Amino acid sequence: MTSYQHVTPEIEAQLRNIVGEKRFMSGDTIKPDYSHDEMPIYGSYMPEAVCEAESTEEVSAIMKICSANKIPVTVRGAGTGLVGGCVPVNGGIVLSTEKMNRILGYDMKNLVVDIQPGVRLCDLAADALSHGLMYPPDPGEKTATVGGNVSTNAGGMRAIKYGVTRDYVLAMTVVLPNGEVIELGRSVCKTSSGYSLLQLIIGSEGTLGIITQLSMRLIPKPGMDVSLILPFANIREAVAAVPEIKLANLDPQSIEFMERDIVDSSAAFTNNKIFPTVVNGKEAGAYILVTLVGDSEDELTLKMKRLGEVAAQCGAYDTLVVWTDGLKKSVWSARSAFLTVIEAEEKMLDEMDVCVPVDRIADFLMFTHDTAVPYGITIRSFGHAGDGNLHIYCCSNDLEEDEFKKVSKEIMDKCYDKCREFGGQVSGEHAIGHAKKAYLRESVGDTVYSLMGAIKHVFDPDGILNPGKVCHDI
Amino acid sequence: MLNILVCVKQVPDVNLVKIDPVTGSLIRKGVPAILNPLDENALEAAVRMKEQYGGTVTCITMGPPPAAEALRQCLAGGADRAILLSDRAFANADTLATSYVIVTAAKMFGNFDLIFCGKESMDGATGQMASQLAERLDASQLSCVSLINHLDTDKNIIQVQRELGNGTETAEAQLPCLITVEKTNYLPRIPNLERWLNSRTAEITTLSAAEIPGLKAELIGDPGSPTKVPRTYPPQTGEAGIILNEGNTEKNVAKLVSLLGEVL
Repeated sequence: MTSYQHVTPEIEAQLRNIVGEKRFMSGDTIKPDYSHDEMPIYGSYMPEAVCEAESTEEVSAIMKICSANKIPVTVRGAGTGLVGGCVPVNGGIVLSTEKMNRILGYDMKNLVVDIQPGVRLCDLAADALSHGLMYPPDPGEKTATVGGNVSTNAGGMRAIKYGVTRDYVLAMTVVLPNGEVIELGRSVCKTSSGYSLLQLIIGSEGTLGIITQLSMRLIPKPGMDVSLILPFANIREAVAAVPEIKLANLDPQSIEFMERDIVDSSAAFTNNKIFPTVVNGKEAGAYILVTLVGDSEDELTLKMKRLGEVAAQCGAYDTLVVWTDGLKKSVWSARSAFLTVIEAEEKMLDEMDVCVPVDRIADFLMFTHDTAVPYGITIRSFGHAGDGNLHIYCCSNDLEEDEFKKVSKEIMDKCYDKCREFGGQVSGEHAIGHAKKAYLRESVGDTVYSLMGAIKHVFDPDGILNPGKVCHDI
Repeated sequence: MLNILVCVKQVPDVNLVKIDPVTGSLIRKGVPAILNPLDENALEAAVRMKEQYGGTVTCITMGPPPAAEALRQCLAGGADRAILLSDRAFANADTLATSYVIVTAAKMFGNFDLIFCGKESMDGATGQMASQLAERLDASQLSCVSLINHLDTDKNIIQVQRELGNGTETAEAQLPCLITVEKTNYLPRIPNLERWLNSRTAEITTLSAAEIPGLKAELIGDPGSPTKVPRTYPPQTGEAGIILNEGNTEKNVAKLVSLLGEVL
């Protein structure tokens, strides 16, 4: 049993001294936002203090104080997570990296950008483009910080072609729980140099160390892209087309799936009715959205023709070409609004972010619907069909919170069991936090879970860094 | 069968255009040219009329050769024929000279029953073209049309809803009629692959000044344009707003009242 200390007035004074009056909050001055992320169903936990750090030195100084006094420290970026990862479940301090938001510089010859961890994803993506480069990871939540993306190994819509955040982290500066500063990785293309602690920190959700600087890999901006909408009768037919599309050798940048109800909700909520609901006289029940990239219109035309053939063979009602920038913006902004729309429409919300083999997507989705119906719970889903990463929401506008949590847990238990049976992962990109810890343990087994815990102990023997998360049992 | 004309314009994506703070001129370098967004709504209205009543949709524009791309987008969006009026002699035209060239050229392709325009262009935003075209074509005009209710093909009368500042008006007009379209009910469609592929290789009828019979040199381009633009300058922008987030509604209201107190 770990025992933590509280933030005393003396410690408060020391912390205040490090970050200054304006970047320190305690007591009533702490905004409630710091007590939860974007999935409030997992509970609200107020920190005792919030420090907005601006430098590695400040983070190190804060950690020395907290380490000496056994005060829990929960690192927080933009707070856009969905599993309670940045929520201070054991109180203590929240260390915000939001003010560490500077892009430090580009190495144009080696295609590397150095950034602070609080740079927002949308800002890095736009800034890289202005340099003729692309930051390939493209998670749906564009206002997340890159540090948060690294900490959860966020994936996103372009993962099928370019991989996930992990594939773009070359090096980082990390502050250990005792305040010591270490450098991991190098800005080079390969390494065969011992255990990769860099890779261990990526996806560790702020439980092993605090990332204070990142060197991220970039790629040249692709020449051209086009998105295509394939409307289908229903979700089963839609996702059945995905393996065929992948086999067609088109190297798509993204393959997303969406069910009709969420498309309708998005259209009503945003007044952006870009997705056609009736195609060639038939009601669309689901859609596949594919993005292809190439260096020339001729190359893209060949790929589009091939995709059109595959789509027709798979029963798509048509192949719609989203060619102009205006249409692309409308289509992808509709897609990006899905989670916001669900949050707006549903009083109660719980989420799973499983990743299943692509050929099991339809079976898994059907299972979630079939499981939820007897409980009076609605399932709403969308996600990355190309890599089997599904965002599935249990929703209710009728049940009270306690009842909802109870039935949602029963549904989740069954769904995670099914996910394991299908050979899937508990989380594709939203990570574990404190909300999915039990499912991680069941999924990986006691031995692996214990190894994870042992690693945590090596980095953080007092368990002060983001306690109660991932594999850390208090 | 309706003979329908849609007048369109290729414009720089003004959302991406910056203005040189010193010279006041537009910095167009690297800014993509797009089909004027409001013209997409006009095209969609035209294509729906064709689908409902039968006919042909012709798109026409005046501009440099790259403006063909805007016409290809119109073909993808449902137009049947595209006409590009392109000649150095057309350069520096104001709306008066432009409407003269477009109408003179359009008459080569028959009499049009319906003429559709976007409300205004995204760049110049004069909103003058539609009225000038209607006058030169001797057509009636319905502006601010949010919905076309009905076309009486026997009496050649079209009935529409007009979106006015204080409500909606039902109006009728005799064909030929020029209609400017509001965007709400006429969102552009996404073309299917077959139509898009055809649009990329379709023939675009391109006419120079010499190929338009009866065009008078003194009425086109710079000589035919009484409008002169002595200077352009960036619009004044106000200060950015602030979002109050004091933690709860009571604190937000208190903060707001305090801020208002400072101002008043």
